[in-house]
Order: sequence, then C-alpha cells, then structure tokens
Amino acid sequence: MELIGYTCSYIPVEILAATGFRPYRLLHGEVNLSKQGEKLVRVDACPMVKSNLSYIMNNQDKFRALVGSTGCDMSRRMFDVVSEMTEIPVYVINNPRTDRVQIFNDEIDWLVKQLEHLSGKKFSDDLIAQEIEKWENARECLRKIDEKRGTKPSLVLTTDFHKAVANYYQGNITDKIEITEDRSNKPRVYLLGSAITYESNQILKLLEKELRIVGDYNCGLSRFLNIRIGDKTLSGIKDAYYNQPPCIFKRPNDKFFEFIQNEIKKLDCIGIVAWTLDYCDIYEYELQKIETAFNFPVLRIKSDFSFQNLSQLRTRIGAFAEMLCSKT
Amino acid sequence: MFENLAPKKIDLKEWSRQFRSLDTDFINKFFYYKNNDWGRYLFPPATFMVYGARQLKHLKLDNSLTSLRLWGFSFNESERLFRAKQSGKKVIATMGDLGTVPVIVMAFPGCIPFYPDCTWWTPFFNESNVLLDRASEMGVPEASCFVRSALAAFDKKAYFPKPDLLFASTGASCDDYSCIMQMVGNLGYDIIWLEMPFRRHTAKYFVGDKYKTTNQGLEYPERFEDYLVTEYKKVWAKMVELTEINDLELLRENIKKTNRLRQLVENIKNLTYEVEIAPFPALEMMVIEFGNLYGYADFDEWLDICEMIYETIKERTRKGIGVLKPDAIPIAWVMPTADPIVLNLVEDLGGRVVATEYVINQALAQIEEQGDPFNALARSFLNASLIGSTEERVRRITEKVEQGRVRGVIITNMLGASHCSMETRLIEKMLSKVPVLSLDVPSPLGITEQLKTRIAAFMETLR
Amino acid sequence: MPISFASALISAFYFREMKDILTPRERFGLLVIDEKPDRCNIIPLITSHSAKVKGVKLKDYYTNGEIMARAQIAAIEEYGHDAISIFSEVGIIAEAMGSEFFYPEDDLPVLKNPILTQTNIDNIKIPNPEKEKRLPVYLEAIEYAYQALGDKVPILAYVPAPFTTGMMLSDPNKFLIQTIKEPEYIKKVLEKSSQAAIEFCYHIIDAGGLPILVDPLASSSVISPKTYKEFALPYERAVIDFLHRYDLDVILHICGNTTPILDLLPETDADLISIDQVDLKTVLEKLSKRIRIIGNFDTSKLLFFSKENIANEVKNMVKLGMSAPKGYIASTGCEVPTHAPKENVKAFIKAAKEVGWYWD
Repeated sequence: MELIGYTCSYIPVEILAATGFRPYRLLHGEVNLSKQGEKLVRVDACPMVKSNLSYIMNNQDKFRALVGSTGCDMSRRMFDVVSEMTEIPVYVINNPRTDRVQIFNDEIDWLVKQLEHLSGKKFSDDLIAQEIEKWENARECLRKIDEKRGTKPSLVLTTDFHKAVANYYQGNITDKIEITEDRSNKPRVYLLGSAITYESNQILKLLEKELRIVGDYNCGLSRFLNIRIGDKTLSGIKDAYYNQPPCIFKRPNDKFFEFIQNEIKKLDCIGIVAWTLDYCDIYEYELQKIETAFNFPVLRIKSDFSFQNLSQLRTRIGAFAEMLCSKT
Repeated sequence: MFENLAPKKIDLKEWSRQFRSLDTDFINKFFYYKNNDWGRYLFPPATFMVYGARQLKHLKLDNSLTSLRLWGFSFNESERLFRAKQSGKKVIATMGDLGTVPVIVMAFPGCIPFYPDCTWWTPFFNESNVLLDRASEMGVPEASCFVRSALAAFDKKAYFPKPDLLFASTGASCDDYSCIMQMVGNLGYDIIWLEMPFRRHTAKYFVGDKYKTTNQGLEYPERFEDYLVTEYKKVWAKMVELTEINDLELLRENIKKTNRLRQLVENIKNLTYEVEIAPFPALEMMVIEFGNLYGYADFDEWLDICEMIYETIKERTRKGIGVLKPDAIPIAWVMPTADPIVLNLVEDLGGRVVATEYVINQALAQIEEQGDPFNALARSFLNASLIGSTEERVRRITEKVEQGRVRGVIITNMLGASHCSMETRLIEKMLSKVPVLSLDVPSPLGITEQLKTRIAAFMETLR
Repeated sequence: MPISFASALISAFYFREMKDILTPRERFGLLVIDEKPDRCNIIPLITSHSAKVKGVKLKDYYTNGEIMARAQIAAIEEYGHDAISIFSEVGIIAEAMGSEFFYPEDDLPVLKNPILTQTNIDNIKIPNPEKEKRLPVYLEAIEYAYQALGDKVPILAYVPAPFTTGMMLSDPNKFLIQTIKEPEYIKKVLEKSSQAAIEFCYHIIDAGGLPILVDPLASSSVISPKTYKEFALPYERAVIDFLHRYDLDVILHICGNTTPILDLLPETDADLISIDQVDLKTVLEKLSKRIRIIGNFDTSKLLFFSKENIANEVKNMVKLGMSAPKGYIASTGCEVPTHAPKENVKAFIKAAKEVGWYWD
C-alpha cells in the first residue's frame, strides 16, 4: 500500500487515512540516515529531520504524498528540499503558534480538498466517521496499555510501549498488540523533549534499566493519545486536534508547562528526563525552564543518534536514579 | 574639506583627522527628534569606540560626510531610545516580522518602534561576548542565531528602555527568533503575539484556494491576507488603547512616507549596484537596507540621511568615482552577516556586492497606497523572505546570476540557526551556475586566518 | 598575563555576584544618558596604587605602558571596581613640553627644572603625544587596557588641565605671581597648554580612552576663586568644549577644597564633577540637579582608618550621594594612596556595593 507521510501531531491521521493510503509518521532518527541527510542540508540541522529526509529520498516510490506543518521551522523546510529533489506531492499546512483556530480549521479544510483530489475520493461524512472510529479504537487500545505504565507499581515498560505505538505511527492499526507485563517500583520519571524515533528504542532500554518512564509528552510515544474525538465529524476532528494539550512551540507556552505539571503530579513522578536532539531549538531553548519550572530533578540527555558515549550515559542514568532513590 | 575628497574607505584614525576639520556649528546642525540640546549625533567613529564599539578600530568606513551622518546616527540609536522615553515618547518593541508592524506604530504620533533583534550586531561591533555569555547563562544554546543577544539585552535593561508595548511575530518564523521571544516573555515582559502565515505558493497538484500575487510576483492564498489583517488590526487596537488616538488617515500618511523611504533605498541600491565603479561600500549599504525596518528610531531624520546618501551616490556616479576599483568582482550576498568586518574583508580582497538577500524583502517592497491600509500592509508583508520557499527567497539573486551580473555568491550562516541549516545547501544548489562560498560567521573576534584564506581563495576563483 | 585570560577572569569576577547585572561599561553608559543603572558606579581613584597591587615598582609603572595597564587590570581583578584609570601624575604634559622631572625608583616623578625658567613660551612646541617623553606610555597603556577589557570596563585617562600644566611648566610661585603681574603672558602659556591638552586628548580618544580633566592646582587650596575664574576655568572650558565635539561625557576632577568655586564649576560645562575636600551635602544642593557628582571619600582615611569605620563612612556617603538627581559615582576625593592597605580599599568598595543599589 502506498504511504502518505506526515510529520506533526497536529495533522489528523484520520484525514490522511481517508485517502486510502497508509498514514506514515516520519519519525526516523538514526545515525547513518542522519549522515546521509547531510548531503542535502547542513550538518547543524536537526538529526531527525536529516534522517527523515534520507528516508524519504531512499523510499521515494513508497510515498504517494507528504503532509507537513509549520510546527517546527526545520521540519517545514524539509519539505522545501523534498519539493526540489523529488516529484512527491507535498502539502504543508499552517499550524498556528498563537491561538488562531480559524487558521487551523481553514487549513484542515484545505488539506481535505487536496487529499480528496489526490485520492480521487470524496471524504463523505460516513467515510470520516469510519476513520474516526477506526483510529479512536486504535488509540483506545493503546491508552489501556499506556495506563498500565502509570499504575503503581508500573506494569508496562515504555520500551515495549514504544514498539506498540510505532505500529500506530506507521499506520498498522490492525495488528494485534501484545505486551508482557513488567512490574517495577523503580524511580518514576516523566519523559519529555524531542521525538523518540523508531530507531531510538535503545535509549529507552538504557533508561529503564534504572528508572521507569511512567508517562511522557513526546511525539514518538504517547502524545497522540490525548486526541479524543467525541464528535465523529470533520468538525470533531478539527476540534480535537486543535485543542489537544499544547505543544511547546505554542506562543505563549505557559499552558504547555501547566499541562506537564499536572501530568507529573497525576503520575506521581519524582524526576524528569529531558531528551533533546542536537539543534532542536524548540526544546533546547526551554531546558533551563524545564529544570526550574517543575521543582523536580531533571536528567538532560542530548543526542545526534550516534550514541557514542553509551557508558558515560549509563553512569549518568545510574547516578540520577540513585539520587532519586535517596530522595524517597 | 569634504567636498574635494576622493571617495575611499578610511580607518578610525583618518576619520578622526577628517572630523577635526569640521566646524562645531556644522556638527551641531544635525540632531534627532528635532532636539538640538541632547539630540546631536554627528560624531566620529572614535566617539562610539571610546564608549565600547571596539570593532570601529578595525573597520574601514566611507570617508564622506554622508557616511559620517549615517554612522553617527545609527550608532547613536541606543541612547536615542532612552531619550525617547525620557522625553515622553512611547517606545514600542517589535520583534520577528522585520518591517511591517513599525509602519503601523509610526502612524501614532510620539511612538517610536524599534527592533531588539538588531542587537544581534552589538556583540560584533563591541567585539565582546558579554551579551552572548549572558544569553548562555540564561539557557540559550550556544549553537544558535546571534539574535540571542536580544534576550540578554532585555535582561540587562541597558541597551534600550523598557518598551511600552512589545509585539512579537511568530508562526512561519525562524525558530531561534520564536524561542528567544518566548524567553523574553518568561522574563516577565508582556508580549502581544502575532501570527505570520507560511506563504504557500501554488503547485500543479493543488486545488481549491484562490491565489493572488504580491507586487514582487510571489504567490499566496488569498485568505492569508485576511489572517494578517486580523493581526494588524490587533496591533492597531493596542496602539489606540495606548495613545487614545484612532485615525486611519495617519496610517495612510505613514504608508506614503514609508514608501518614500523604500523607493529611495531602491534607487540607492539600483544605482550603487549597477554602475561601473562602486560608489558606496557594502557595509554602509547593509546599514541603509536595514534602515527600512524602522528608520533607526527616528524615521524622519533617517529619511533625510538617505536623501543625502542618494545625492552623494549620484554625485560620485556622475563623476565616475567610487570606493572600489573598477575591476572589483561582482558578487551576490545571501543572509546579512552578523559580523560587519566580513563585508570589509571581502571588499579588501577584491569583491563588490551587487545584489543582496538580507531576509528583509518585506521591508523593501512598496505598500499599496490605495484601498484598505491593513490589506495593503498584509500584501506587502506577504513578500517576506523567510515565510515562503527557499526558491522564492533567492529568486532575484537567481535572476542576476542568470543574467551574468554576478560572478559569485557568498552566503553567511550561523551555526545552529534553524533556517540557515536547512536553506543553505538548497541555495547553493539553486545558485550553482556560479561559485558559491558558504561561510559560518564565528562569534566575536573569531575570524581566523583560515577564514580569511578561504575568502581570498574564493575571490581568486572568481577572478 | 595574556589578554584573553585577563578578560575571562574579569568576566568571572563580574558575574560571580548575582546582583551585578551590568558590566561597568554598561553601568557607566546608563549613567551618562541620565538613566539609573543597577547600582551606582564605584570608581575610587586607583592610579599609582595599582602598581602596589600588581607588585611592580612605581618607576616601571609610569614609564612603561604595558606595565601600567597590567597594574590597572590587576587592580580591577583585586577590587572589582568600575573603571580603569590611566594616570601617574600631573606633570606628564609639562614634561613633554620640556620641563624636566626626576624619577625616583619607587615614587612618582618630581618637577626638577621647569622649562619656562629657561625659555619663553613662544619657543615651546605642542608635543606630539605619539613621540614625546611619557605621553606614548599613556597611549600604550590605554590601548593595552582597551584591548584587554574595553568591552567590559571604561578606560579613563586623566589629562592634566591647562592651569595645572602651566604651573608645571613654570616655577609655581613665580607662575602665581605672574598671574597678577603678567596676566597676558600667563594666558599665552595657558593657551599653549590648552592646545597641548587637546592634542593629547585627541590621541587618547583614538586609543580608546575617555579623557578626564584633572586640575588639582586650580583648587581653592592653591588659588583664589578670582584667579580660578580668570586663569583656570576658561581653559578647562576650552578642553571640555573640544571633548564635547565628540559627545564625550567629561569628568572634571579638582582635588583639594573647591567650596569657594562651587558656583563657578557649572561654567566649565563639565558633565561630571569630581570633588574632594568639600561637604557632599552642599555640593548636592548646589550642583546635583545639573551635573553628576563624583566623590568624595577622604583618602587619608584609607591609610589610617579601620575597615569598619571606612565601611560605615562609605555607606553614609553613598546613601547621600545616591540622592543626586543627575547621577552619582562613589569615589575617593583624590587618588587612593599608593600604600593604602588592600583590605581598606576592599572595605570601601564592598560597602559601596552593599548600599549603592538603584534597582530592586
């Protein structure tokens, strides 16, 4: 099946799926892909954007179209490069950073028109309702698993959860999900920051040797589970996606911090892991505020996917875990 | 003395010597805000150097009286902003949009817009990492745009007064800017956020949207104009609240005045870049272009200075004289350099800037004077350099390359700046009919011999 | 010490104390445009004292520009005050014009043979500051300090005013008598001294220094107000007018008693007045609405007082000085004595920093 690639949590997967193509979230991040991407953009571009660019270039024939948004400057500009270098149709929507619901709604309407034209299908109310139901059900299954991460004691590793949600992101929502229970009383931490990519499972594994990630606000993990579409119409989609817990790029972004504060409290976390990719402006600029805003110890991990200093990282994670244990 | 001087670029000492020949009465003739008590600004580079602009010891500047006025006026800006506030004017910070919001602000009498973003040059003119270090302490990553100086400037409160209002434009913006503006908000400044839409041009596979074209030939969905109109009306409403003045005629008048400046600068550029011998140096030309953003906090005086600049350039052109050799190699420059000395360097090594893309296309475009002024502003802003595709951004340079008017292109980048990292390779590819040199501008005092050698080698290639 | 290391050390020093938001350069910059900085500028007149801080002989200090600058930098590192002060003694221009000075090994130069005892003023040339006697030493010191710290710290260069220079060109007693018996001749001397001072200022500016006019021999401790008005003030004014062409903010320092001439000082058009033996309250009442005030801790107390007494007095002085509407710089009335104990100088600065805050 042909893919319709997309980059942003504000892009409604239901609309993409209505085309009949498989929605495929561009969440690649791997050192070789990233290095390949340096033929097209500078070395100081986000490693995830470089990886995605390479993935697209290496798999052009798989993609029927690509949909992006203005959520992040580099990822928006990635599509400029794609447009120059390939024939893949590219649709970039305005995702307003300020509170401009009309812009968002108009852009979703525009996207619908484009995808109808691309697919040759009319997105009828029934079709929309069907897709909403399908994807809501998928989300609901994953929510049940996600809830088990947050129980006390935690019952599910985020390492395993990540593999499950990868299916969702890659559009495989019919596959059965089986996750082995893994009970743990390790220090409970909340993960936020740059997206955890498909290839980054090892970092989760490393973290969860000493810690237990019980919750996150991350584009590669559970963030999409905040989408709950009650009204099974296009309006319902717009409403749910626009009003999801805000991204850190929103201006002003104090609501983001409020949301995270509540989540951390709800999940009874005692620490935060802030994972950022090199040159990820959106998160790197906010790290100092993250360290002071929540009154929790923060472990900062920065990466370009090369994972060159794994042993050093292991030591840091160990020390962080020890410190958290000593506080409880 | 000045009338008979052959044009050339001179250093600080020579400028001091020239300045000494000026009558005190003449020096006192030029002042800002029409205040001849504290508003004088005709001072030599040495004045500003004594007060910390250390790079003036190394820069070479044009030797005309016109240039003296330009530099005295632009270097005086920080003091001017404080004096504005002291004398009861409203000082309005505008960030991110680079050129349109000040047009609205200046329509209100006694209101002075300025761009804190322009403090990105301060570390370089001062040859100092004070602001950049402070930004790092505040959590800004070191590999990022030098606009991070603005955050430190807000924190220190020593580079401009506390603004009466602060407008920050985000959306299809450079992320470094957007993050800096958020951090300014975190300091407790009350920010009025404005949304800049991504200017999505049409594609053969698009349907539905009605497209229009700006006066620079750039396509955009018609409804985007309305989005911007909403934002500009928000600005207007805030200004009305602040000043209790509400007169759209003032906006129309100010649009006309803005257009006068923009046309003047266009004429200056056309003349300077077309004639055989460069009549004015590239560094001064960069200052002139950026003056379009807000007139360096006294629009009327800046307009007057530009008129003088134009006369000087016309005069030099008429006489067939200039500051560079006739065989100076014509190059295009993409991205303004944060370090002014790079422009000096390129000229010293035989280059001549004849085309620029300084991320401020929106501040160069004329604004329609008929019809609704907010729509006119919106249409003008939709010419912005950074809100659309890279191809659109460098189109004018591409044309010059294809016409054979430039022999090489220099792109100045900053390590870690979001749009630099993504656009540069694409720009290199688009302009690849001629040699392209991409330079990372290092932090202050970071220009190495290696960098100079690269530029020299590039100029040799072009020769 | 390499220049870059000095600069880094100073950075560390200035950012160690959380409340010091501004660098001295930024602080001074706000003062001179009538804005209140984070705290008041603290600039005790640390000149030859810096040689002791650095541990160099005075003779080396005032004959070698690099050593002078390094001593000043060492003082900044030691004390964390707000300006570098390039100065040794007031005879520097007179020496360049021909007066002979004796250089003791470990003391400041002393006037030995005034040139006007040997020749007429008409035969004296305006000295070239890049070449004559120790004027180049000053310029070298300014350039060195400017390159090392000029982005963070203002570089002040003390220039002897024409009257003081005139006295050093001549036998001082004879000079004073001549102001009565040969006023026109003295005015010629002063005219030439003005030109020499202006020429020196011109080069100081190009080196990166902010010229400060010092006129100790014009105080009422030495001459009458009438003599000041006729023979000192107009020539101070001439130099200040020259500096005002550059929009430079001019400090006029007159140590000694200036009470009788307070009402005349505004006529110099100086932007900042540095005072010594005069009641600060009186100065504030008379001048502080129009002119910024600098001063005026009694420097002898730095030698003989305890740290605690110094701290108390400084705090009272600074609290009073900060009420000056046009602005205030906490300083000493005259140069910090060469041999002043470091702890006492530190006590001065610490006390001023404790109470000198404008910002919350």
